[in-house]
Amino acid sequence: MLIFAFLFTSVLLPSVDFLERKIKSRGLSVLIITVALCATFVLFLGSFASNFIEQASSFSTRLNEEHTMDNLNVFMEKVMDAMPDFVSEFKPDETALATKLQDVVKGVIQNLLTFAGKVGGFIFTTIMVIIFTIILLHEYHNFKRSLVHFIPNKYFEVGLRLIFNIEHQISSYLRGQLLAASSVGIMSIIGLFILNLMGANLTLIVFIGIIAGLANLIPLVGPFVGMIPAILIAIMNNLGNEAAMNHYLFGVIPSWFYIFDIALMFLIVQQIDNNFVTPILVGESVGLHPIMVIIALLIGGTLLGPLGMLFAVPAAGVLKVIFQEVSFVTKNAHLL
Amino acid sequence: MKNALWTNLFEGWQKTESQTVMTLKQVPIFRGLTNKEFREIEKLIHERTYKPQEIIFRYQARGEGMYIILSGEVEIYLEDEKGNKNILAVLRDGEFFGELSLLDAEERSATAAATKNTILLGFFRPDLLSLMERNAELGNKILMNLARVTSTRLRKTNELLTEAQKLQPRP
Repeated sequence: MLIFAFLFTSVLLPSVDFLERKIKSRGLSVLIITVALCATFVLFLGSFASNFIEQASSFSTRLNEEHTMDNLNVFMEKVMDAMPDFVSEFKPDETALATKLQDVVKGVIQNLLTFAGKVGGFIFTTIMVIIFTIILLHEYHNFKRSLVHFIPNKYFEVGLRLIFNIEHQISSYLRGQLLAASSVGIMSIIGLFILNLMGANLTLIVFIGIIAGLANLIPLVGPFVGMIPAILIAIMNNLGNEAAMNHYLFGVIPSWFYIFDIALMFLIVQQIDNNFVTPILVGESVGLHPIMVIIALLIGGTLLGPLGMLFAVPAAGVLKVIFQEVSFVTKNAHLL
Repeated sequence: MKNALWTNLFEGWQKTESQTVMTLKQVPIFRGLTNKEFREIEKLIHERTYKPQEIIFRYQARGEGMYIILSGEVEIYLEDEKGNKNILAVLRDGEFFGELSLLDAEERSATAAATKNTILLGFFRPDLLSLMERNAELGNKILMNLARVTSTRLRKTNELLTEAQKLQPRP
């Protein structure tokens, strides 16, 4: 919880400091920023949910029509044809399938109960994170001064430098990542808008773009996560559409439901982001070797899942700064 | 009943001003700052207490900022290989040292140590950098003052060098 609160504090601190200078009240600045952020988040979620439900209900209506099921079967056949032979020859045993289906239903019911419990836990955690963030934002500078106050005179300047370098590392990484995420979001929206083959409305395109941008915050894995909702919505929208079923990318590659068109578009966005936007905006803010980034992601992912992956790179960057300072101090102990 | 004309109506007017701000006002690096700006600077100042003979920083250590003496005494010195002290300066209340480290992280050119119980006000480069990001106008004022102090020191050094060159016998 504290890690999340600290992360939000790092992101929001510049805006709170800026607002404080304008309105001369830190408390009010913290309140305005937090409320604005929460309101935006709730509005975003609410609007996305309503759009998605609308999309899903129209999908289920279409699913009831007979030709849609035929279409799905044709699609499955096409997919199976495209697979290597050993995959198409694989036929599951019918009785085993029924038992598995029963297990799945049981599992779903159990999962639903667990899910309800988890929702409660999530709401509690969210509220606590918000409270911690508000306290940290309000007391950040005092908190830092108190922390610095306890550093012994001998290590005072080294301690100050360490704190500054860690702060700098985190804030420049977060700022760069947020800007890169925004650019990916905007490019995805433009790309989907140009394609506009999915028949989705503009609001949904914007939401998909925002999700792609946010997913981009997780290095390496994020970009692929970003294209999933776009592909899902494209399938949902184009069921029963003959043109979508027989679509070919560049007239050569079969691209049912425009799946490969979307994937290609996201690939282009990723390439622009990786080769132009991120190097300029993020630069070498963390200064970690790519192999270290992958190792950090693996450790983060194993320990905390997707959230661990989100924090892995900045955490590795902080550890690097600490290691550098400790090694400098060890080498120059006679100067303390 | 007191006479309003002669009573000091402004008694205690400056009392809200802390000792820190009053000391900062004596330092040329903060010259020309408004009271509001001094209050902002006060938030960035670190008050440190040193015992007699306690080292503040050592020669060749990486410098992070400047110190202003709130109370006490500090000597600046260099040690030779045998450990003999060559005292370069003895500084007292309101005086400051180490201001060049506000500009870069170069090594300290001498050692600084407290000679009696001393309270120092530390103003450090990381805080100056963050101040420049948040309040560029105030940051610029401090930088200009810092440039003035540096140029004064440079001129003085130049004069001393010229004098020393004059004293040297010509080949």
